Amino acid sequence: MHEGLWMIAAPEVILVAGGVFLLLAESLAKLESKAVGVLVLAVHLIAGLCLLPFITTRAVIWDGLYTWDRFAVSGKAFFLVVGMLVTYLSLEGEAKVPAARAEFYILPLFCTAGMALLCSVRDFVLLFVALELVTVTLFVLVAYRRSDPASLEAGAKYLIVGGLATAFLVMGIAYIFGATGSTQFDAVAGFAESEGVGPVLLFGLAFLLVGLGFKAAAVPFHIWAPDVYQGAPTPITAYLSVGSKAAGFVVLLRVFLLPFWNTDFQRHWVPLVALLAALSVVLGNLAALPQRNIKRLLGYSSISHAGFLLIGVASHSFLGFASVLYYLMAYLAATFTAFLVLVLLEREKGGETIADLSGLAQRSPLLAWSMALAMVSLAGIPPLMGFFGKLLVFLAAWESGLHFLVIVGVAAAAAGIYYYVMVVRAMFWSDPVHQGPIAVHPATRGLLLALNVGSILFGFYVKPILALAAGAVVGSGG
Amino acid sequence: MSPLTILLLVEASAIGLILFGAPPKKVSMAAAAVNFLLSLWLYVQFPAGLGGYQFVESHNWIALSGLPDIRYHVGVDGLSLPLVLLTTLVTLAAVWVAPAQIKRAAEFYSYLLLLSLGALGAFVSLDLFFFYAFHEFALIPTFLLIGIWGTENRQFVSIQLTLYLGLGSLVLLAGIIALLGALPAGARTFDIPRLTEYLRENPLPPNQQLLPFALLAAGFGTLVSLFPFHSWAPFGYASAPASAAMLHAGVLKKFGLYGLLRVAMPLLPGGAEAWKPWILALLLGNILFIGFSTIAQKELPAMLGFSSVMHMGYLFLGLACWNVLGISGVVFLMVAHGLSAALLFAVAGEVRERAGEIRFSELGGLARRMPFVAVAFLVGSFASVGVPGLANFPGELLIFFGSWRSQPLFTAVVVWGIVISAVYQLRAVRSVFYGDLPQHLIQANDVEGSGRIPYMLLMAALLILGIWPGTLLGVVGSGVRGFLSLY
Repeated sequence: MHEGLWMIAAPEVILVAGGVFLLLAESLAKLESKAVGVLVLAVHLIAGLCLLPFITTRAVIWDGLYTWDRFAVSGKAFFLVVGMLVTYLSLEGEAKVPAARAEFYILPLFCTAGMALLCSVRDFVLLFVALELVTVTLFVLVAYRRSDPASLEAGAKYLIVGGLATAFLVMGIAYIFGATGSTQFDAVAGFAESEGVGPVLLFGLAFLLVGLGFKAAAVPFHIWAPDVYQGAPTPITAYLSVGSKAAGFVVLLRVFLLPFWNTDFQRHWVPLVALLAALSVVLGNLAALPQRNIKRLLGYSSISHAGFLLIGVASHSFLGFASVLYYLMAYLAATFTAFLVLVLLEREKGGETIADLSGLAQRSPLLAWSMALAMVSLAGIPPLMGFFGKLLVFLAAWESGLHFLVIVGVAAAAAGIYYYVMVVRAMFWSDPVHQGPIAVHPATRGLLLALNVGSILFGFYVKPILALAAGAVVGSGG
Repeated sequence: MSPLTILLLVEASAIGLILFGAPPKKVSMAAAAVNFLLSLWLYVQFPAGLGGYQFVESHNWIALSGLPDIRYHVGVDGLSLPLVLLTTLVTLAAVWVAPAQIKRAAEFYSYLLLLSLGALGAFVSLDLFFFYAFHEFALIPTFLLIGIWGTENRQFVSIQLTLYLGLGSLVLLAGIIALLGALPAGARTFDIPRLTEYLRENPLPPNQQLLPFALLAAGFGTLVSLFPFHSWAPFGYASAPASAAMLHAGVLKKFGLYGLLRVAMPLLPGGAEAWKPWILALLLGNILFIGFSTIAQKELPAMLGFSSVMHMGYLFLGLACWNVLGISGVVFLMVAHGLSAALLFAVAGEVRERAGEIRFSELGGLARRMPFVAVAFLVGSFASVGVPGLANFPGELLIFFGSWRSQPLFTAVVVWGIVISAVYQLRAVRSVFYGDLPQHLIQANDVEGSGRIPYMLLMAALLILGIWPGTLLGVVGSGVRGFLSLY
């Protein structure tokens, strides 16, 4: 265990410094916004390289605020990939953001920095700061298309509901501090172990759950998701859908995966999370059924996936936590594939409804197949990653005695097949609404292929990904 | 490497070749022929006297604490080898009868091969994970085959079928999880032989078997169209392209029965015993209710779809009696039904294609224009009704003998199903192929040349098994005896 190894925080520092530098440079010299996008990709890459020397390091710095372990490294790598994919999507879909200025590329750097920081938090104060860094940046990005009322509406909704969630979060942290006299995770958990989980601490933790439930878009804190997903620029929707959700779960695991939580706590905690999980899978899947707008449909679908992930959290076991991480990776691959296809279609002046996808198989087999595989993976059909994620989550939950939750999850997943299949149907055998083949840049082609192949390959050859997830969970064990 | 893995690789590489632009029909037929010959060779090589699994290959796949270990484990015994042979034979026939000039041919043949790959993989897998994954994965090509190349109501039907089968598969998944969850942590594994061995020595208490068995039976039951979970099947098959219906009704659907036979009933005998009255009641629905519904059908493909649902009733009957006769009958009839259903659906496809008509009221006299097709349909019909000399007869006979021992009265009732099937099947023969030839069918012409070979293959198989059931019963019997002696 190293003390004072401050340089391990380099990824966050580089992301923030790169962001500030690019903002300044952009305001002084007129930079081509595409070039800024490429620079942003480079900054992500450099930050990623800074992870490499410390993969096996364990350290705590900044007086116990910031911790470094396998969990943190894997999480940071995950969010850097998310950041790069979002930037790539923005580059591909530039035409759709008329006022696209360089800051549209630069701001996500701060967001990624916040998410990377979240992987390392070991203190509620830093947790709050990091989470707000993410949320405030997203406020701006969601409402970025200023001339578009839908985007503005989305921004306003996200701001108001997000503000409310923040209030809950702060209130929760205050309660926790009041009950235990500390904001450090270890101290709080140690207090819970020795003194038991009193009502005040429980209240604080429940409020914390509200704040994180908002990030993860779990029912009943999901109200913002469909409208915001629909209104935000598509790359930002992808960011919300994967990044923001994963951030919520990373913190959830960080806080509640500590080994010291006693059975008293579990007795209160598991039913609460299980309830949120059941509500999310049912509402998300049922509400998605009648949707015709794809971004909105993916919004509801993402609510249901928050539910499946919560099933893993509710299992409160090693397998459950590992399954959450595996599921997040499956979700990343499928969701980014879907949004990348949507971005390319938007550029072709298509709309965002399922009907606009009609006949895509004739216009571009690659795009149609990519989208189909993404849908099939999200629906949880083998041999794709989404299936194995669901299998793991269900296994873990059953093993923890949450039989009811598994049955509900299975029923909801079956309902979910319907709307995913409707998307596939439109692409493969409806007559095209829009005509003409779609040109896809070779790099994008490669990226889509990589995402598809990954989704299939790691769906049955699960060893490497599962080892990664398990290593992260083991690594975080205090 | 096990020859069974090679079977899977042959189909996978054929799909790869098609995707890279090789001529779809030729490549598919070559792959199907290679696989058929290979599985025939395996069948001949199979040491029936030994019992147990042969051609085994087993690797660790994934092991993680808390996760039941998953292995890539393939092998066949007297129960699964006949199904493998059935799969490769029907695949060859299905690919052969498919039109070469079909729209989007590369996709069509890839999906057919994927469907066949899913069935093959499920039959050779000895690990629950792969067993499940192979089958459910075949849902995607089924959905696309019906949706893109189907007829009439394909939009609605393909989605209905996918939802039903998806729901069935998920219930099945819950059943598998429930089964594993009921075991102590050290005994949990996806490996079927190890599970079987463990549960034989330490059976679960009967009350713990109820829920897992119910979930497994409902899941597998939906996949085999057990009444009342059958409504996806008749119209699904009616609007599917002939090759897809052949492969699904003939082969893939048997997965549910095979799963009951291999997993649900041997691992949870107490649950099977407790739920048996329900299964008997439901299969009565298959035989009588669906039987009468079949009589009421006015179109050829829909009638065949219903009839294939009805015949599942006998297979459930054989499973329910759970003795050497009954189980041997089930395996035998699975193969026989697979062959006869494939033959009949292929003929229905030809009638639709060549006569442009499927309604009984508008058809007639086609035997004059299409004598070969008429013969094929007649053979398929006789087989399906259970006429001696064709493959279904020994299977049904074994099942009735087996079930007579355990429930004579019930058997005496369901035997009348044979009469029902004779009524609808012979009526179909008469109204399609005999009587006056309507004016609009004058130009219908017969299958010629090498197009006849797939029909002859299926008919030959039906005849060989009917006249000389020993060819199959030797293998099946050894498997069943070895299998049942364990319980």
